[in-house]
Amino acid sequence: MAGFLKVLFRNLLQGPSTDPFPLVPETFTPDRLRGKVVINQDLCMGCGICSYVCVAGAINIEKREDGHTITVWHNSCCRCAACRQYCPMHAISLEPNWHSAHAEADKYKVIEQKTIAYEPCSVCGKMIRPVPEATLKKLYVHNDDVDLNHVRSLCPSCRQLEDARRSAGLPPAAEKKAVE
Amino acid sequence: MSISTYTMPLGPVHVALEEPVYFHLTVEGENIKNVELTSGHVHRGMERMAMQRTLVKNVTLTERVCSLCSNSHSFTYSMVVENALNLEIPERAKYLRVLAEEIKRIASHLFNLAIQVHIAGFKSFFMHVMEVREIMQDIKETVYGNRMNLAANCIGGVKCDVTDELLEYILKQMDVIEPQLEEIKDIFTNNHIILTRTNGLGILPPEDALALGVCGPTARGSGIVRDVRRDTPYAAYPDLEFDVITEPGCCVHSRAMVRVRELFESVKLIRQCCNKMPKGPVFNHMGKIPYNEAFAHTEAPRGEVAYYIRTNGTDKPARLKWRVPSYMNWKALGVMMRGCQIAEVALVLNSVDPCVSCTER
Repeated sequence: MAGFLKVLFRNLLQGPSTDPFPLVPETFTPDRLRGKVVINQDLCMGCGICSYVCVAGAINIEKREDGHTITVWHNSCCRCAACRQYCPMHAISLEPNWHSAHAEADKYKVIEQKTIAYEPCSVCGKMIRPVPEATLKKLYVHNDDVDLNHVRSLCPSCRQLEDARRSAGLPPAAEKKAVE
Repeated sequence: MSISTYTMPLGPVHVALEEPVYFHLTVEGENIKNVELTSGHVHRGMERMAMQRTLVKNVTLTERVCSLCSNSHSFTYSMVVENALNLEIPERAKYLRVLAEEIKRIASHLFNLAIQVHIAGFKSFFMHVMEVREIMQDIKETVYGNRMNLAANCIGGVKCDVTDELLEYILKQMDVIEPQLEEIKDIFTNNHIILTRTNGLGILPPEDALALGVCGPTARGSGIVRDVRRDTPYAAYPDLEFDVITEPGCCVHSRAMVRVRELFESVKLIRQCCNKMPKGPVFNHMGKIPYNEAFAHTEAPRGEVAYYIRTNGTDKPARLKWRVPSYMNWKALGVMMRGCQIAEVALVLNSVDPCVSCTER
């Protein structure tokens, strides 16, 4: 019994180990806490792998002619971080924000929603999601001669033609158009 | 049935843990003559749910079968899918999986020990053990981002890479928790209240344990050397040093002592994982899904968890079946409880560390 009395007195002297939240502004929140999902709209390409791996069905991607809207319902999300794991663009992250209390009336408004606008291809005019600059820099890291801003404005098939032209030593398509 | 015996219902709510299990006890006075068990209160049809979801989604689903051994389920499920897909996982992922598993094992064992003393009426010690467990909970929250569902595993490796700073942090916390575990071990070995309530109670003789196929600390508490980590090593266990703990007492106290001593083995394993952690990738991508079937089993905190999968070339499994340790272990309750008193039912039940939501899934 003496063994436990020692523990008991030590614990008494230490005082409570719980934080009196919400009387204190913040409690133990590590940086890697899996809280609310955040989408980086500069990186999201709308490929939909996040909604494919989401077991909770919390992610929806609505594609339109002029862009796509990605929505995450925080109330459905189970914070398993599968979307973060499988997102090829690393556009999804989980911030250490665990505050999820909200009024009943707001239950459909507790969402993370980002709309990504498409731009027309500078050659054929088809609406495309321009590739993020950081990704282009990675893709063309060995091609210093390529004008990234020009490549960024091309749709995939025009970009393919462009690459073929460059390999054959022909002038870029947009310039050719201007000459005509 | 003589005139002095009668049947007494016990449960289904809060027999030992906050999980429903319903006992029909045939009692003679205070003494239990026979035990029958009804379960199925928390059946959620999870095997069927798994067949309607894709392989990737099921990692998250299986993690939610149960809270205390959540990591063991996603771990074994990932292993079984990797076996079916012939997918090799990186060396670092193997160590990270063992690390997460052992962190969960310490938290699970401490929880069971806390509940054990809580039922024995030793509330202040219950609070203390739960307080020590908070160290493990803080590790889980800091390293993995959640106190229960670690989301550590994924098919082909792990989702959560642990940085060198966090490995340092885990090692530091191990130095903090170890003396406290020594203290808990000392109290469990010598404390009068615990010894009088648990020593010699709920005897499960080794021959009955073998016949009933019990596993985990329940079997090891009856002196049976049975541990999947040693018998069929998986992940990084073949490279790591640890002892399989057994106790000869066959009673509630010896099962608790197995858990207490296993805490130190887990601490040893966590230290080895942190020190030996290889560098490299943590995740391999899935390939084509073949027609195949596979099996995998691991040692969860309660015993052997086994998974079977049949794939049919689509991204959804044709069949997913799992067997959990509590299914065998609670069959042994009939042997353990015979001759016990009604007041001891909760203690004996808790000594097998029943996981009702795992078993009924």
